[in-house]
Amino acid sequence: MPQPVTYRGMSLVVPDNDSEWNEYFAHARQHRLMLRACAACGLMRYPPTHACPWCMDLGWTWKEVSGRGTIHSYEIVMHAIQPGFKEITPYAVVLVELDEQRGRPTPDEALRIIANLVTADFTPEAEGAVAIGKRVRVLFQDLADHFALPQFTLTDEPAEGRVWRLSG
Amino acid sequence: MNSLRDKYCIVGVGETEYSRGSGRSTRAMAVEAVRKAILDAGLTAGDVDGMMDYQSGDSTLAPHVAPDLGIRLNFYMDVMGGGSSTEALVGLAMGAIEAGMCRTVAIYRSMNGYSEFRIGGTGARAAQPVRGLDLAQVPFGMRSAGQNFALTFMRHMYDYGTTSEQVAHVKAAHSKHASQNPKALLKERVTVQDVVNSRWIVKPLHLLDCCLETDNATCIIVTSAERARDCRHRPIHVMGVAGRVSKPRLDFHWAHGPISRVAGYYARDIVFGQAGIAPEDVDVTGSYDAFTFTTMLQLEEYGFCKKGEGGAYVSSGVIELGGKRPNNTSGGHLCEGYTHGMSMVIENVRQLRGTVDDYCPRGTEGVHTYDYSPGRCRQVKDAEISMNLGWAMPPLGSALVMRR
Repeated sequence: MPQPVTYRGMSLVVPDNDSEWNEYFAHARQHRLMLRACAACGLMRYPPTHACPWCMDLGWTWKEVSGRGTIHSYEIVMHAIQPGFKEITPYAVVLVELDEQRGRPTPDEALRIIANLVTADFTPEAEGAVAIGKRVRVLFQDLADHFALPQFTLTDEPAEGRVWRLSG
Repeated sequence: MNSLRDKYCIVGVGETEYSRGSGRSTRAMAVEAVRKAILDAGLTAGDVDGMMDYQSGDSTLAPHVAPDLGIRLNFYMDVMGGGSSTEALVGLAMGAIEAGMCRTVAIYRSMNGYSEFRIGGTGARAAQPVRGLDLAQVPFGMRSAGQNFALTFMRHMYDYGTTSEQVAHVKAAHSKHASQNPKALLKERVTVQDVVNSRWIVKPLHLLDCCLETDNATCIIVTSAERARDCRHRPIHVMGVAGRVSKPRLDFHWAHGPISRVAGYYARDIVFGQAGIAPEDVDVTGSYDAFTFTTMLQLEEYGFCKKGEGGAYVSSGVIELGGKRPNNTSGGHLCEGYTHGMSMVIENVRQLRGTVDDYCPRGTEGVHTYDYSPGRCRQVKDAEISMNLGWAMPPLGSALVMRR
């Protein structure tokens, strides 16, 4: 990637030798959520890393996932730290548990991704609509020719299990 | 598990003023804190031949601090790290002495955490380029400690029904303790209602759920039990220590749940195993109260109550002065000042000596009234065993058990 990407006043730096992130964000720009999968045991992992955390194998391939999942936890930022986020408060940060590979290889493990919960135009979802248990799907926020941020948005699917949000 | 139980002691402690504008360098503050700890121990510069410190690119190094005081070092180590470093470095200092590398180690932390490098992540830190692992969270407006930890607390509320009111008791208790501490930045007592009525920072955290940002330096001196006998105060023995114990997937700990579990789950057997005690044997605790709920999470994970019952535990009165097992009797990071974990160990050393620096006229000589009304005493009567619960983040922690 030739130059840093500027987003909300931040400089997002993914140099050519960043072998963890380079292709991940390039795939996102193609609107595909691709994770690294171990060449030996097949398990996927996130974030992109250089060895399998379960079998230590160094071989990997990119594997596409559906981008669908469930909100596992969330927070609502009322007081932004980064200057570029002050104008969009309150905004939700969500921990999304993807549908693929849940509870594998042990019951406490899953593919989980952090992103914002946004509407179709990438503005923050209304606070009252954010809750643990709600279903979401990925949206790709294009920031440059070679870079997009995977974000998540609510779907019409029925929620999974108990739906809960912080009152007040 | 191997143990060096009772073979090493903390013999000296010292700190600068806690302020929001020290007006001086981290080097100047470190020198003052180290000097005070050496004098507190009844030692001289020539007795100290080891030095360790920790920082995150915001402080001064041992090779600059030691010579200022005329200390020649046989061993030093400057460590990158924040919370949870205190207990880990006590253990490493013991190891350095045990290996014969040096005899007595001064551990310090010096930071202009308010006036220079804001610990809360505002200012220069908020404008840093985002690269590497930070790309997994910072582009989404998740950078500060509160933003980093809030997902954990929210899930704990979901899993166990924990409430804002329950953890607000931590702030209320620590403010009660700070009202007995002349050094504390916030001496005014606050109520649970004050906490839940304060403005939101990042839900589920209110302003008063968050700790302070502070300029200060702190120091702890570790030596062998044998040498400790010649020092000024009653030696405080290290019974057990666990350093920087982590959950799986420390790079992105949310990948391995339950995310409402914290590192104490893995650290407790190490530290209690060495010490040969159980939680019920502990008289006073020192938790890393970066936030109210971090205290709750640590206390339950180390077994002071059942997992999931931390909210009930911290709101029961147990953790207050006068309660069964007071926590952060100096007021901690929430009220006394933010020290990256050092001050809670310093306070427990003084508690075990029986010489906390409260408002009792002869408190530092060990004469206390045990009157816990505002502006009076904060000494815990007959405190024999203390435990510190160090914290860097949900998946990373340390612990230290000491006895008098």
